Amino acid sequence: MLRIEHILGSRVEEKFASALHDLEHEGAVDVLPLAPGDVSRRRMRAQTRAGEDLAISLPRDQALFDGAVLLLEPGRAIVVRVNAERWLQLSPRSISDAVELGYHAGNLHWRVRFAGESLLVALEGPVDNYVARLGTLVSDRRVAAAVLAEGDAA
Amino acid sequence: MTAARIGIGGPVGSGKTALIEALIPRLTANGINLAIITNDLVTREDAERIRRSGLIDPARVGAVEAGACPHTVIREDPTMNMVAGDEMEAKFPGLQLLIYESGGDNLASTFSLDLVDWWMFVIDVAGGDDIPRKRGPGVLRCDLLVVNKTDLAPHVGVNLPRMLDEARSVRGGRPVLATNCRTGDGVAEIAAAIDAAVLFRS
Repeated sequence: MLRIEHILGSRVEEKFASALHDLEHEGAVDVLPLAPGDVSRRRMRAQTRAGEDLAISLPRDQALFDGAVLLLEPGRAIVVRVNAERWLQLSPRSISDAVELGYHAGNLHWRVRFAGESLLVALEGPVDNYVARLGTLVSDRRVAAAVLAEGDAA
Repeated sequence: MTAARIGIGGPVGSGKTALIEALIPRLTANGINLAIITNDLVTREDAERIRRSGLIDPARVGAVEAGACPHTVIREDPTMNMVAGDEMEAKFPGLQLLIYESGGDNLASTFSLDLVDWWMFVIDVAGGDDIPRKRGPGVLRCDLLVVNKTDLAPHVGVNLPRMLDEARSVRGGRPVLATNCRTGDGVAEIAAAIDAAVLFRS
């Protein structure tokens, strides 16, 4: 278990760029993949792609982010990679269906983005759990539901 | 290093305070330096109950009055709880674990990760074996789901193994533990889960 108690900085900072570039050529930059929903955690146990067991406990005023450098030492580095967000696209067929959909999304405290006439909901679990909460809105085809392919919501 | 902060949420009467009372002796026996902050609507009932329990120094039990919806102070604006936590940490240097007990709420209550590092949601068998199937955000999103009052299952017509299976299924296999806080069944497993998740000692 490797303890990480603070973030060294961002991989794009000049002071890290050269060293990380060299380590990348040696295949010595290990990655900690994180789900978007886990980025807010100050403390967690997590495993890097190479299998290193990390025990992260950050000060309350620090937060993880994509590209955060957690370790940099001769011969290796560990950098955070935040996985792409998965989005559920919900497209209402009428204004009244849109009003109802908006009510449910707010009531359930879903994280959303607006995309024209669709509502995009950030998926933090199985899609069925989200669709089930909309009940007849989806089953009666008043709202069309589709999971977006990676990059489509960008 | 700052103390780990964990949350305990769940519906009214599911056994959140009883679980904390069961956890205190186990955690302190494991050498963990801890404090508790309770949330109530307009009283300090839960804090007073824990202070009177004799299980912990009463000064280590703080109270935040939510005033309105109990989930507001653990999710939308947890500032009051964050300040209460900072004050507790200043008062007890070396504090390792701070436990936030939410006010009794509904199945939609969740904790902000700005407030806690890890949180559990407590439901009980007497609330009905259909609770996991209702897929409330609290049930789905917590780090650990606790199904309490297992001893009541035969008295309220609940098939406990099926309820636990359904809970694991809706949570996609994420952790679910069963407890009976009155006898202490399952409490050691919860203490171990807290230790592994945020204290990193096991």
